[in-house]
Amino acid sequence: MNDLLIVKDQVRYEQKAYWRNPMAAVFTLMFPVVFLVVVGTSAGATRVPGTTLKYDQYIVVAMLTFGLIAACYTNLGMAICIRRESGVLKRMRGTPIAISSYVDGIIGSVLINVAVLTVVVVGIGMSFYHLHFPYHPLATVVTLLVAIVTFCALGMAVTIIVPNADAAPAVINGIYFPIVFISGVFYPLSSGSVLSHIAAYFPISHMITALVSGFEQDPGSGLRPRDLMVMLIWAAAALVFTARRFRWEPKHR
Amino acid sequence: MRPVRCPVVAADVDIAITVRGLTKSYGKVEALRGVDFEVRRGQVLALLGPNGAGKTTAVEILEGYRKREGGEVSVFGVDPERRLRSLRARVGIVLQECAVDPYLTVAEAVTQRAGLYPEPRPVDEVIDLVGLEAKARARVKLLSGGQQRRPDLGLALVGNPELIFLDEPTTGFDPSARREAWDVVRGLCAEGRTVVLTTHYMDEAQALADAVTVIANGRVVASGSPDTLGGRDHGMTTVRFVLPAGVSVGELPLPEGVEPQRRGEFVEFRIAEPTEVLHALTGWAVRRGEVLSGLAVVRPSLEDVYLALTGGGQP
Repeated sequence: MNDLLIVKDQVRYEQKAYWRNPMAAVFTLMFPVVFLVVVGTSAGATRVPGTTLKYDQYIVVAMLTFGLIAACYTNLGMAICIRRESGVLKRMRGTPIAISSYVDGIIGSVLINVAVLTVVVVGIGMSFYHLHFPYHPLATVVTLLVAIVTFCALGMAVTIIVPNADAAPAVINGIYFPIVFISGVFYPLSSGSVLSHIAAYFPISHMITALVSGFEQDPGSGLRPRDLMVMLIWAAAALVFTARRFRWEPKHR
Repeated sequence: MRPVRCPVVAADVDIAITVRGLTKSYGKVEALRGVDFEVRRGQVLALLGPNGAGKTTAVEILEGYRKREGGEVSVFGVDPERRLRSLRARVGIVLQECAVDPYLTVAEAVTQRAGLYPEPRPVDEVIDLVGLEAKARARVKLLSGGQQRRPDLGLALVGNPELIFLDEPTTGFDPSARREAWDVVRGLCAEGRTVVLTTHYMDEAQALADAVTVIANGRVVASGSPDTLGGRDHGMTTVRFVLPAGVSVGELPLPEGVEPQRRGEFVEFRIAEPTEVLHALTGWAVRRGEVLSGLAVVRPSLEDVYLALTGGGQP
C-alpha cells in the first residue's frame, strides 16, 4: 500500500467524520462567524491603538485566531482523547498503517478546516468590514502555518494530562478559556496593562499580533519574528512533551 | 496435564504462535510468571481464566502492544515486539473496547480499514459476514448496543488475516448474538485461519476451541482439548435417578466401594466408569418392572474442571 494514498484516504474519512460531528463544526466555524456578525457590527470603526486596523477589522483577525485554535487545539485534543479512551488509537496501532500516516491524515484534515475557516472569516471581513486582502500575504501564510503547528502540538500535548474521556472538555477548555479571555480575542488588549503582561507568556496574543501585522498597510515584510518565536517555543515544548509521554491506550483497563 | 512442549523451530510452518517462559510484571504485580503455550495453524485456542489472571496481558504481548520481560514469543516466526508492518498485515485484532469512529457508516469504516491492508477481503463480504448487511449505510453511532461490536469484528476481518485475536468477543452479548458470533468464528476456522480467543465462558471454549489453555495467577494451570482438559475424560461420572417407591438404597445392585447418597427423592453416586453399573442397574429395574425415572449420567463439565483448576469453587 502506498503511504501517500493512505494519507489521502485518511484525510477524506477524517473530513466526513468531522462535518458530521455537530460539536466540532459549530465551534470552529459557526462560533467565529456568529461572533463576527454580532460583535463586529457593533464594534464601531475607531482605530485599535497601535495598529492600522479598525475595531471591527481587528475582530475579524481575532475570530480567525479563535477558530484556528478551536480547530487545532480544542478539536484535535478532544478527538485524540475520545479515540484513545474508546480504543480507536490502540486498534489503529494494530493495523499495518504507519502511525505517521495516521497522524498526517488527522493533521491534513485540520489544515482543510483551517483553510475553510480562513476563507470564510477573511471573506466576511473583506465583504462587510472593509478589511483589505493581506498587504503582506507571505507574513499571513507564515503566521497561520506557525499557528497551526503550535496549536496542533498543544492539542496533542494536552491529551497527556487528560485522564479520561469525561474529563476531556473540562481540562482542555479549562486551560484554554482563561488564556483566550486575557489574550485579546474578544477585545483588544491595552498595551502595558497587567493582563497584557500575563498574556505575553502565552501564544495566543502573539498569534493575534502577528496576524494583525499581515493585514496592516505598513512598509516592510509584515513578519513578526519575535511573536512567531514565542509560538514556536511553545510548539517545541509541546512536541517534546508529546514525544515523551503521549499515550495511545486508555489508562485504566 | 502439562502444557504442550514440542520442540519447535521458528520456521516450523505448522506453528502460528510459540510462547515460552513468558514473564511480565506491572510494578510489583507479576501478571505472567512463566507462561508456555503454542498454537498450530488453523487451530482455535481459548485462553481461559478468571479476571486478572493474565490472559489479556499475554494476548497483548502477542499483538505487539506490550513488551515482555522474559521468555520467548514468536508469531509466524517473528517477534511481535518488533511491530513489523508485514506481521500486522497478517493479524486481525478485536479488543474489549469497541473501537470504531461513531460518525462513519459501517460501510465507510470497513472500506477505510480495507485500504490499510495489502490484500483485503471484499467489503460487502465482510459486512455480510458480521451480519450488518441491513445496516451498511447506518452510522456506527446509531447501531443498537448489541450491534456495536459487529463493525469492530468486521474491521478485524477485512484485512484477510491469517491469525485473529478475539479478546472476550461475546461478553455482553445476548444468547442469539453469541450463537451468531460463534458461527462467525467457526467460519474463520473452516477457512483455515488461526484464532486465539480469551473468554470467561466455559460453553464458549467448549463450543469453539480445539485447544484450551487455562491461566490463573499468571501461570498455565492446564492445557489440552476441551474434552480432556484437567483429566476431565478420566474424571468421576455422576449417576442419578429417582429411587423407586418401596426400594431402599441398600437393595440397589451397586458394586463395592460405591457410596450412594439420598438427595430428596433422588439417589446419586459417583463412579469412574459407569458402563457396567448402568447395565446392572437397568437390568435390575427391568426385571422388577420398575422405572428409573430422571436417570442422568453426568460427566464433569468443563466448568467444574475449570473451577477446580483455578480454585474458584468446589470440584
